[in-house]
Amino acid sequence: MSDRLTNLKTILWTLVGVLAAVSVVRFTRGLGSVTNLSDAAPWGLWIGFDVMSGVALAAGGFVLAATVHIFGLKRYHGFLRPAILTAWLGYAAVAVGLLYDLGLPWRIWHPILHWQHRSVLFEVALCVMLYLSVLTLEFAPAILEHPLLDKRFLRGILRILKKATIPLVIAGIVLSTLHQSSLGSLFLITPYRLHPLWYSHIIYVLFFVSAVALGLMMVVLESLLSAYFFRHEVHTRELAGLGLAASVVLWIYVALRLGDLALRGVLGMAVDGSWHGALFVAELGLSAVIPATLMLSRRVRESRAGMAVAAAFTVSGMVLYRLDVSIFAFLRPPGFGYHPSWEELAVSVGIVSAFALLFIFFVERLKVYEDVSRRPRSEDEPKPSYDPSTVRRLQPRTLAAPGRFTGAALAGAAVALLFLPVRGSERTPSPVVAARSVEGESLDRGPARTHALVFAALDSAEAVTRARTTALPGMTGRSTGAFPGSRAPLEKTTLLLLVDGNQDGYAVLFDHEAHKERLGGDTSCVMCHHLNLPPEANTPCASCHRDMYDSTQVFDHAQHIAALDGNEGCVQCHAQGVKVKSYATSTACSKCHVEPVATDPVIPAAPDRWPKAEGYMEAMHGLCVTCHKREVQRHPDKYPADLAECGTCHDADRAAQLRELEPARDRAVLSRPPDGLPAAGRDARTEGAGPDSHGTPAASATGAFPGAGGRQTP
Amino acid sequence: MSTWLHLARGPLFWTALAFMVLGLVRQLGLTLWETARVYRRAGDKDLPVGRVVRETGSWLVPVRHFGKRWPYSLTTFVFHVGVILVPLLLAGHVELWRAGLGISWPALPNVVSTTLTLLVIAAALALVLERAIARASRALGRFSDYSLPLFIAVPFVSGLLVMHPTWNPFATDPTLLVHVLSADVLLFLVPLTKLSHMILFPLTQLVSEMAWHFPPDAGSRVAETLGKEGEPI
Repeated sequence: MSDRLTNLKTILWTLVGVLAAVSVVRFTRGLGSVTNLSDAAPWGLWIGFDVMSGVALAAGGFVLAATVHIFGLKRYHGFLRPAILTAWLGYAAVAVGLLYDLGLPWRIWHPILHWQHRSVLFEVALCVMLYLSVLTLEFAPAILEHPLLDKRFLRGILRILKKATIPLVIAGIVLSTLHQSSLGSLFLITPYRLHPLWYSHIIYVLFFVSAVALGLMMVVLESLLSAYFFRHEVHTRELAGLGLAASVVLWIYVALRLGDLALRGVLGMAVDGSWHGALFVAELGLSAVIPATLMLSRRVRESRAGMAVAAAFTVSGMVLYRLDVSIFAFLRPPGFGYHPSWEELAVSVGIVSAFALLFIFFVERLKVYEDVSRRPRSEDEPKPSYDPSTVRRLQPRTLAAPGRFTGAALAGAAVALLFLPVRGSERTPSPVVAARSVEGESLDRGPARTHALVFAALDSAEAVTRARTTALPGMTGRSTGAFPGSRAPLEKTTLLLLVDGNQDGYAVLFDHEAHKERLGGDTSCVMCHHLNLPPEANTPCASCHRDMYDSTQVFDHAQHIAALDGNEGCVQCHAQGVKVKSYATSTACSKCHVEPVATDPVIPAAPDRWPKAEGYMEAMHGLCVTCHKREVQRHPDKYPADLAECGTCHDADRAAQLRELEPARDRAVLSRPPDGLPAAGRDARTEGAGPDSHGTPAASATGAFPGAGGRQTP
Repeated sequence: MSTWLHLARGPLFWTALAFMVLGLVRQLGLTLWETARVYRRAGDKDLPVGRVVRETGSWLVPVRHFGKRWPYSLTTFVFHVGVILVPLLLAGHVELWRAGLGISWPALPNVVSTTLTLLVIAAALALVLERAIARASRALGRFSDYSLPLFIAVPFVSGLLVMHPTWNPFATDPTLLVHVLSADVLLFLVPLTKLSHMILFPLTQLVSEMAWHFPPDAGSRVAETLGKEGEPI
């Protein structure tokens, strides 16, 4: 075994170890824990690379089969078996990659039974499954030729398979033509989502032609790589022939690509200096123009290095083409960009590594390359030997290689595990913004309880000005005295609380003073302020209920240690003789903290221990709704029957008014809110959020799509 | 400090635990695989399996083997009892398993745990001293023979101090961090050092037996003697 092969295998095993660790988390904790996929970016690296590029990279199988068996160019026969093996493993890798990407991977077989005649994806699924079967049959002879399987029955099967070669090859070509192009057809339904430089009516032709060229160049690359690792001869003349064929196909591809863009009149976008233009130029140059030009020269075609460079260019460029179509040139709302997480990368790389190891496994044991001999038989291997005087780990030297590979995999898995979210994805924290007080007036204390608003204390001066000068559509007839210029001036101002914990603009207006008055003045504080921080008398809700949805740990252990004189103080909470020092066995908080506990609150604090405060929303609803329900029951004559219903506090009209006045914030409604919007997107929305524009987030976001304005849609 | 503790009790701990379990499985697999290969090639396939099992069993409780150097044997025995029992059966640890995985088992009374912990610490020191004092064992001793017992004592000393804060001259949280971190490192070390005998011990007798059947370079020497060099054995 050569050193370079052992080193390669060690690296591949390490990556497989990483893959194993990520897989455990992926399949136990779900897609969300390891990917950056979202509703706005449902197709990421696993589709763009593992499926789209994987299928294209495996195109060498049908191209070489056609070359040798249909066009009769027998001198390429030596490349056929490795190409079939690559295709077979490649398609198997696609299926495995798909398992990672499917939300319900155990339903991968559904297309077999549940036919959906109008779906392109259905055609792709069926073709890939059938072609994988065809490839299995095409490669089966190589396995059946192994001496271990030299049985009479299997020899019969081998004969039949060899006779069926031509029908199998034809089936393979038909199926490949169908799905290589259909992978492009998938994007025909996305004229508004795919950048015009990539969207095309002939995208399926482009996908097919590029797959043919890529297949040829993949055979070249793989032949050069195996020559390097297995130290066998390079068939330069045949490689040059493949290179010339690839060059012709690449030029056809370039002509089709550019001609299509020119006919649609968007060729100019390639050189308009935009990011997408540059990407297009780089991709076309890398995948086709540079390698095709290089391979026009006979000297390049007949040199190992020249063909290696050309093949590496085409392979990486065509992979970039598939990634562009499915990721980079796919337009998304601003703030919902997509970049693969390291786990996604690790899975893609790991699957490739695993199948590369399988490739090596087959090459070492079967007759794949005509001039690579099978691995030495076990009799020729070094003899095992134990040395009882020095044996340390009970294993002799002959296991050095397996020991090294399994060790590498273990190390890879351990390092990956260290960074993986083993407990599942952590919930995005949503810190609560405490209620802000605004100046306003309660006009009517009756059941309607309408408030007029003046935002004297709101954080943005601009918003205050606008509030004072703008007549809001929803305010007429209700806010009789709110703004300068309206019919009556504000008469008796009071402080209202603007409760909007998550700052989504849907605030609840809470008349703190009126509640206090109704519930009995200063003695009523304790009804709501059920638990106060030690030095305070009426701790605001958000001091403990710090997260909008999650409960928060409010007990500070370190602070208690410091306050209770270090280690000597432990016994004050963890009594001597207690078996386990835990939350459950500690002294009750209320034993020391007598003062801060309200005696008759609406919602009592947990009887004796209160380390966790529930989420803000939960706490607010619990408090308000409980009290409202109770008051309606006690005084049905005084309050309307719907006092405990949502609308009492969450007044839709008022929320709309508040929303108009709030400074622009992220109001995206898609599933994964971005950490911070790009400046351009924020500005666009601030302008669009004026009183006369009620643009939905989606509408205002669409306006910010790059290239959307100049798009020439069919 | 709380971030470090969180890291040591969370990702570092489960990574170390997984590394230990998988690493031990790997060691076991490799050893069994090679033993099977050796057995397949051995000319004399008559393995005294019964004796191997009996010997393994008798060394498990080695009272019978206490000989002239009984203090050393006794120290080792006490050390092993404490090292195995305390981490698994300490009430606080059982509570952690219950909180984390929802499974629990009976715990030792804290007095017993504390006594065993003190014995482990004393035994670790004694092991090192005894090895250094006796000339024969000093000659055989490697660096790991001295460093491992001392390193194993670290989580026991820090654990003892966490259990009994009034004995602890240091602050609680840093002591706890030392305890958890040293235990994490120890878990990592298990499959990499001779600590892996915790899973390989049933094989030591078997492997010695195999080694007698297949002395170093046996095949080539036999072939040499028979004048059949280069032929398959």
